Amino acid sequence: MNPTIKLSLVILIAFEISFTQVWMVNLALLIVSLLLMIYAHVSFKRLLWLTAVPLFFASALVWSLKLQGSTTPHFLGVIFTRIFVYVYLGGWFSQTTQPLALARSLEQNAKLPAKFAYGFLAAFNLMPKIQAEVATIKAAALMRGQVLHIWSPQLYFKVILAAMNWSDQLAAAMTSHGFVEGAPRTYATTIPLRHRDWWLLGLSLLLVQLGLFCGLP
Amino acid sequence: MTTAIRNLTFTYPNQEHPVLADLSATFPDGSFNLLTGPSGGGKSTLLKLIAGLLPLPTGSQIILAGQALQELPATQRASQVAMLFQEPSTQFTMDTVLDELRFALENQQISAAEMPAKIAAALDFVGITSLKNRHLTHLSGGEQQKVALAVIVAMDSKVILLDEPFASIDPAARLDLLQNLVQLSQAHGKTIILADHDLSLYERWIDHLSVLEAGHLTTLSPEATQQRLAIFSAPQRQLTHVTLPDRQLPVILQGQDLGLRQGTRQLINPQDLSLFAHQITLITGPNGSGKSTLLRALVRLTDYQGTLTYDGINIQKRRRKAYARQVALMFQSASAQFLNVTVAEEIALSHKYGRQTYFTPERVDQLLAQLNLTQQRDQIIYTLSGGQQKKVQLLCMLMMAPQVLLLDEPLKGLDYDSIQAVLSILKTVQHDLQLTLIMISHQLSGLDGFVTLHLQLADCQLRYQEADQ
Repeated sequence: MNPTIKLSLVILIAFEISFTQVWMVNLALLIVSLLLMIYAHVSFKRLLWLTAVPLFFASALVWSLKLQGSTTPHFLGVIFTRIFVYVYLGGWFSQTTQPLALARSLEQNAKLPAKFAYGFLAAFNLMPKIQAEVATIKAAALMRGQVLHIWSPQLYFKVILAAMNWSDQLAAAMTSHGFVEGAPRTYATTIPLRHRDWWLLGLSLLLVQLGLFCGLP
Repeated sequence: MTTAIRNLTFTYPNQEHPVLADLSATFPDGSFNLLTGPSGGGKSTLLKLIAGLLPLPTGSQIILAGQALQELPATQRASQVAMLFQEPSTQFTMDTVLDELRFALENQQISAAEMPAKIAAALDFVGITSLKNRHLTHLSGGEQQKVALAVIVAMDSKVILLDEPFASIDPAARLDLLQNLVQLSQAHGKTIILADHDLSLYERWIDHLSVLEAGHLTTLSPEATQQRLAIFSAPQRQLTHVTLPDRQLPVILQGQDLGLRQGTRQLINPQDLSLFAHQITLITGPNGSGKSTLLRALVRLTDYQGTLTYDGINIQKRRRKAYARQVALMFQSASAQFLNVTVAEEIALSHKYGRQTYFTPERVDQLLAQLNLTQQRDQIIYTLSGGQQKKVQLLCMLMMAPQVLLLDEPLKGLDYDSIQAVLSILKTVQHDLQLTLIMISHQLSGLDGFVTLHLQLADCQLRYQEADQ
């Protein structure tokens, strides 16, 4: 499926179930996303992880709402399943979409300015670097006699500084490799936007609407 | 047609004195020019101005292969001028070598059909066809610089700027790159302007040596060039004073079956390794062979195979905080070590936790003067030049005076005078406080007579070396 269409579908569905309270639709959505992830060979470990974390938070939320006593079991069911839909839909999207394909699709299909598309991509590529940087900063501080905790402002000051530095270097590197904001570019690979993608988007949304319509009181 | 600079004056905002003062210079097409000068002298600034990465001040003019930079549309700039940066890892936008090359060609509006041939030719020219589908983050610094050069070759830029491209690269990778550059200038008519402090191994390659000092650029005569290059010439770079370690020497760090891996690649095969107390040990070896990784393992920043003991106790069983005060690493990137904003604040921090009895305020003042940093005391660290940052970093780490100080490329980006000052300070403090220094350096000038042991990493094996004949 085209990455931009896929992203729009996930966002639209998530938006819609945020404002409706039909737990059957939520249940159907979470089963479908789970099946899609299994179909895409997402590893069992990752699936377990994607289930355990929301299970903890959803249970805690439902439990505290129940203690409050003013909520109906129907609402508790909606809240519980809603959290799973968010996580599973997000999981399906992130586990089955290449960041580069998404950036290219946003640039080519959604006509997003190339600056945003590649900025997003560069930020994504920076993630492991940020983790390594935090470990290095902590170790370097210890060697200077200073203990930095996760709540130390100095740690954040350093990380932000490093990120700002990287962003400057990245801008210079992009310029040096010929990138000019707003200038036309060619595409090494074209991300196809087929009729099938539009049909899939339309039909999926239609099904959700039907479900919501039937389920609403 | 030539590349020329006319009446260039450049002052950084919030600074009184211009870095470049009414500078004029000419670089003929197809020439290989080497630019040298003290650290902080404005070499990077000049290159950035030529590359169009900094706005050109009014009244100044830069001509690129016959075309004025100001009149050049931004979209055509990359085909005229491209830059290879000092820090290998931060010059890419994409994830893999192939994607980065595609990105550059897309920017130049090359059609998708023409791309594969151009990419194949560029990779072949630099000799890195095998790296095509590799992730950029998994490559060594030397390989990354080769990729950066391949991108420039693919873009076919007429003027190629290089800002200390070999600062953390081993001689073999550097030789490969130099040969490529000479070929680009001689056979393809590219103008090359390369900035470097370390002038060793350039004699055979360059056409012109220019010195940038006090804002002015002077192109040296052939005699003066030879004289300048002679300072860095081969005989002085050999290590004639090192010895094999004596059995009597006390061991401070001991590795048993110590091995290092990076991903699936074995960097160092499991071996027993002794590092000796109160010695100055130099570790050399090809770029990307695992020298930095070894130092990171010694301070528990990376995983390793086997065991490592410090003073007889496994370093994993030692308390992190206490161990960090015993064995500390001076990182290759200076900014990693700073926690504050100004030079004075950094020194105050090191004074607070460091060896106060030895590093009295008077001694610190004297050391600052020796490092030519007295003027910079209240300056914000991040506005200092790379070389100045390196010197502040060294001073801060020395003031901590850990039993074992690991130094990863402490001379990187330093000019000749700074190297002399740094080595003399290191020697004095090491002697006075009986420290153990273990350093990595590609830059060997001035190290003969300074280091006492030489540990070479070759073929995944670390071995102590005898003196060179």
